[in-house]
Amino acid sequence: MIFTIFKKELIDTLRDKRTMRTMLLIPLLVFPIILTISVNVSSSFEKKASEEKITLGVWGDLSGKYIKQLKQIPKGLGEMVPRSFEDSTKLKQAIENGEIQLGLIIPKNEENLLRNKVSIPLTWLFDASEIGRQERAESYMNVISDNAESIRLKELGVDADKLHPLVPVYENCASDKKMIGQLAGGILPYIFIAFGFIGCMYPAIDLFTGEKERGTIETLLTTPVSRWQILVGKMLVIVTSGMLAASCALIGLFVSIEFLDIVKNQEILNIVHGILTPMFILSMFSLLLPLVVFFAGVMIPIAVYAKSFKEAQSIITPLNFVMVLPAMIGFFPGIELNAMTAAIPVVNIVLATKELISGTLSFGYYAISLGVMLILATLSVFVSYKQFGKESRILN
Amino acid sequence: MIKVSHLRKEFDLSRQQQKELNTTDKKALAVNDISFECQAGKVYSLLGPNGAGKTTTLRMLSTILTPSSGGIEIAGIDAVKYPQEARKKIGFLTGSTGLYARLTPIEIIDYFAALYQVSNKDRDERKKYLFHLLNMEDFLQKRIGKLSTGMKQKVSICRTMIHNPEVVIFDEPTSGLDVITAENIIKLIRDCKNQGKTVIFSSHIMSEVDLLCDDLAIIHKGSLKYQGSMSDFRQHMEATNLTEEFIRIVQR
Repeated sequence: MIFTIFKKELIDTLRDKRTMRTMLLIPLLVFPIILTISVNVSSSFEKKASEEKITLGVWGDLSGKYIKQLKQIPKGLGEMVPRSFEDSTKLKQAIENGEIQLGLIIPKNEENLLRNKVSIPLTWLFDASEIGRQERAESYMNVISDNAESIRLKELGVDADKLHPLVPVYENCASDKKMIGQLAGGILPYIFIAFGFIGCMYPAIDLFTGEKERGTIETLLTTPVSRWQILVGKMLVIVTSGMLAASCALIGLFVSIEFLDIVKNQEILNIVHGILTPMFILSMFSLLLPLVVFFAGVMIPIAVYAKSFKEAQSIITPLNFVMVLPAMIGFFPGIELNAMTAAIPVVNIVLATKELISGTLSFGYYAISLGVMLILATLSVFVSYKQFGKESRILN
Repeated sequence: MIKVSHLRKEFDLSRQQQKELNTTDKKALAVNDISFECQAGKVYSLLGPNGAGKTTTLRMLSTILTPSSGGIEIAGIDAVKYPQEARKKIGFLTGSTGLYARLTPIEIIDYFAALYQVSNKDRDERKKYLFHLLNMEDFLQKRIGKLSTGMKQKVSICRTMIHNPEVVIFDEPTSGLDVITAENIIKLIRDCKNQGKTVIFSSHIMSEVDLLCDDLAIIHKGSLKYQGSMSDFRQHMEATNLTEEFIRIVQR
């Protein structure tokens, strides 16, 4: 009987355009769209910034050696046209007005300082709110500085290697998988939780409040099916919808990585492939399932209580923030899964998934996280059952 | 057959409801100690103004609501103790069709046949009979949302009768329907009576009651004000017509 109800409710839900949009279409498309736009926009900005031919305002001698050196730099570092300024204040103003893009102040006594082998302060002026300006100034400075340094060392007769007795070598012992898990691992559980919640929302409202509003619940309750069977049948559809939405988001992310050429580094791509094993997906879904059941269990009493679709929506939508906000904990570095965090709902799923990606998830914490969520899911189902059993709740 | 004895239903009032009703009472009495019997092969009418307790009574008979006290027997089954068993014997129809807009008539009928655990053979036979009787063949594959009110009402009738119930409960079945659509319901009630089924229907339209019922009860503010046969009602009425007599009894 539960299957009969599940089948009917699933057909009904799949024919609802609004649910289909939130359950399948949006989760499927959101990542390909967001990632394509963000990658293309940021790379086009970076490209534009590096290719931009800029005007370099110079307070100092335009025929001096530094400007000569800058004129000879490869085009790949960005083209530049020097322009002389008599006054450093006007130079600053020109940058503020956007008339020129970079400014360089060369001390008037530069030749003396150089002769006396004293450090020469070269001041670069730029508008930091413009992308790539500081980087351009730094790359120009490096060219000038490297030249000056090698001339100075030559004059002093010093070998560059002898100048630096210690050469620091920093080696990261964390595996690439762990690094990806820690740096980007927060996003995956966040996606799952956010879309798992949204995926549950519309079916929950439609299958309970909607039935009340349309008057179909009354007819359903006159059939020889017990209320718990009706509840379980409907709940299974809500859980399926939540899991489908989360899975679609994962598929969307996978498609983006695999076919939209977003990850350029082949090494990282190989690590991502290594992470996405059937065992990993299975473990992740085992964490997600009780969470989605919990979401459904929280939404059903609200949907049963609400008298209209709008009322249900106005209660459940703010709840979205309460539920999904803890999922953002995954973005913060340093918060790890331990006996305490494993006992905090939602947070435990985020941290466990993060560690699952890193390959550092301990079975004990996994069991605690799963256990906590299973207890909560059971409790929420019980509350749903109690609410669905109340006459005053189910009939408008 | 339906036997109702000392039926009573109280509802808990929420604070909001107390405010709306301007009362400090924590409970509202919807049905107060009513008893009646509906015989098989007869049509019993529950007549009363809006808010009289008709729908609450019929919802208790169809086991959607549990009585606060009293007994209900449906086709020999104690409906308070064994509601699921009693539901197998009941067909329930309201004026609002209560159909799923995104499903087709055939899907709805099959769904309810499955819920009533009708065997595939019986289901197919009943479907064939009802589709022909109600002339439904042309719109069986269309979604409910795209059907006219009359077509929806036919689907609703078919859904109610798919398990061939012994007892049929109609809650204001013609309310909001045009004359032609309402005629389908009136025909159905007559058919049920001819087939020996127990029929109870609620209404606040005296002419409809006069047209169909054998026995009637007048309910007002949760209590029975009159019960007896339709012929007795006509014989002993003090007002000049049925509607005036109904009003006279209610205001007594």
